[in-house]
Amino acid sequence: MRSPDANAGRPAPLRPLLAKEIRDIAAGRALWALLLLVCPLVGYSFFQAMSLYGEASAAAAGSPALAVSLSPLDGVLVPTLGAFYVAVTLLFPFVAIRALGSEKESGALRLLVQLPYRSVTLIAVKLVAVLAALLLAAVPALSALVIWMLLGGHLAAAETSNLLLGHLLYGVLVGTVALFAAAVCENSATAAIVALAFTIGSWVLDFTVAGNPGPLGWLSSLSLTQTLRSFEQGLLSIGLVAGIFIASLGFIALAAIFLPPGVPLRTKLARAAICVAIVAIALGAATRIGTSIDVTEDRRNSFPLADQQALAQLAGPLVIDVHLSPEDPRYVDLQRNVLAKLQRAMPDVTVRLVSPRQAVATATGDDSYGLIEYAYGSQRATSRSTSHREALPVIYGLAGVAPPAPIAAADYPGYPLAARGDAALAWFLAGLPLLIVIAWWWMRRPPPISRFQVQPGGQS
Amino acid sequence: MMDELASAPRSEARHAAAAPAGAFTALLDVRGLTKRYGEQAALDDVSFDIRAGEVLGLIGPNGAGKTTMFEVLAGVATADAGEVSTRGQPLPQVRRAELLFYLPDAIRPYPEQPALRVLEFIAGVYARTPSDIADAAAAVGLDPVLAKRVSALSKGYSRRLMLALGLLTPHPLLLMDEPFDGLDLRQTAEVARLLRRIAGEGRTLMLAIHQLTDAARVCDRFVLLATGRVVAIGTLDELRTQCGRADGSLEEIFLALT
Repeated sequence: MRSPDANAGRPAPLRPLLAKEIRDIAAGRALWALLLLVCPLVGYSFFQAMSLYGEASAAAAGSPALAVSLSPLDGVLVPTLGAFYVAVTLLFPFVAIRALGSEKESGALRLLVQLPYRSVTLIAVKLVAVLAALLLAAVPALSALVIWMLLGGHLAAAETSNLLLGHLLYGVLVGTVALFAAAVCENSATAAIVALAFTIGSWVLDFTVAGNPGPLGWLSSLSLTQTLRSFEQGLLSIGLVAGIFIASLGFIALAAIFLPPGVPLRTKLARAAICVAIVAIALGAATRIGTSIDVTEDRRNSFPLADQQALAQLAGPLVIDVHLSPEDPRYVDLQRNVLAKLQRAMPDVTVRLVSPRQAVATATGDDSYGLIEYAYGSQRATSRSTSHREALPVIYGLAGVAPPAPIAAADYPGYPLAARGDAALAWFLAGLPLLIVIAWWWMRRPPPISRFQVQPGGQS
Repeated sequence: MMDELASAPRSEARHAAAAPAGAFTALLDVRGLTKRYGEQAALDDVSFDIRAGEVLGLIGPNGAGKTTMFEVLAGVATADAGEVSTRGQPLPQVRRAELLFYLPDAIRPYPEQPALRVLEFIAGVYARTPSDIADAAAAVGLDPVLAKRVSALSKGYSRRLMLALGLLTPHPLLLMDEPFDGLDLRQTAEVARLLRRIAGEGRTLMLAIHQLTDAARVCDRFVLLATGRVVAIGTLDELRTQCGRADGSLEEIFLALT
């Protein structure tokens, strides 16, 4: 046997740690159970989406105007990956918690923390293994996209990649929340409750306080489910990506703070408070990044190309006072059709809700309710329209520029596909689960041990 | 640091207690270690030292504070007071893992993994070779169950797995909590021989043992612990002198002193 000091002073390699983490997460039943449950979830969603898309496509067969409205992003991708999102929200925390919880329960953590790795390294490597598990869990959803293409379906690279990025970031965020919960809690059951409180609590926030003004509205913006929304709308928001990244780093740091058993709780809490303060400041900075890119093929989040270019030239500040309640459907329309697009197209746009706490029911008696006031430089104008076709001429008028001539560009054609998804259903309910079971069996086979057994005579 | 520690004289330890006082620099010097859980003191002003190359037995009944002592020394639990130093230099908690490795009692690390994978993990961390793994497995008699999952190992084989993990670590000092627990007579004798061999090769061992006959067989010196306090320290002969029983067994000495 080698001398005890043979390897002193060398940095510990990460490879065995990563291999151990991946083996450990693959050895547990949680991952395979998740995979087996994701198959029918994603499969049935895909089948349903294909059926509805096929029916709509059949109806649009003779009408190009109808075909234009058929976008695979809305019709197939979002609902199919929506099932994956449900699985990640409800089931993936159990897989991620296992990466740390099993070591706590078996006592292996007391060995792990003695190894020559920093706590943050241990957590980061666990996150890599959790990420690998997430990618494996995404195989059913990714296979749905492959089937869609094999059936002749269209996928736009940018919007598809953006949506997949959104789900990846959401999965990473859920994974880091779960690791944090596992680090804080004594056992996996409690950690699962904490992690689900984050994920399902986000749904509760969405259902109860979303759309409310003031602090409640701000609270609802913290919901984890908000992270996916703009990706599903075909927007790549730099601030959102940065925010998810920062939040994930924050949860990793908190997990690393709470991991070592030999640190007094008071010290951990003090470090955690500093960490939370830094993350809050960084998140505050991230929310100020307003840059977002419309990656949709039909450019649904942008004005016509000529308007985009003309608006980008208007360097002065545009201030819009909106006399509408946030929960008013007209405000929702205005936000989607005009305000959000303006904020992406123009360099300096400020939107103010004049009476944000005014309820729709009590506001109807107010004559100014429904007005939208535009101010550009010293010029002011008002409108009640929520359509860009009326709002943009008002803005051009305030800026003293002529509305631009339309630029000839290829119109979005729409991508109807009247295909049946029966074969896909067989893949998701039988073929893929069978492959998963085989992979599970293969992973659990005993390792070859002959080279590790000492032969008579003492040599291995 | 491990270089410094490991390059220390290996031969100074065997039966070190018989040497004149001050002839040895302690590999680990523990002074006034105290650990409380609420009002109860698990360790109360504990002081002792460990000399390089010796096998030191931490002896005491269940609840004496042996495991707490190991956890505090290994840095997986915090002490409320006390100092730990090595060769005259303070050894803060964050640097303990450079000197010592602690093998806890009653754990089954990575129960879903085959025993071999667990050995490979620790061996990989410390850049050990497959030959080292084979040697460690053979040394503790783990060969027949290398392919078995840890959860399926008997208590005795789980104990051997922990010993094999200890063999693969490079630390000068190994802390083993109840290394004989779960072993039958023959296995106990084999492991005792193995531990003596490890000590003979230069590693220092500190063993927490509640079976006094096992402790007497393998340890050079003893720290007798009762309700968190050190009752006596010394070789078997020194302990006999302290309690006035010239031919007393460790069991009799312990009963007399506690």
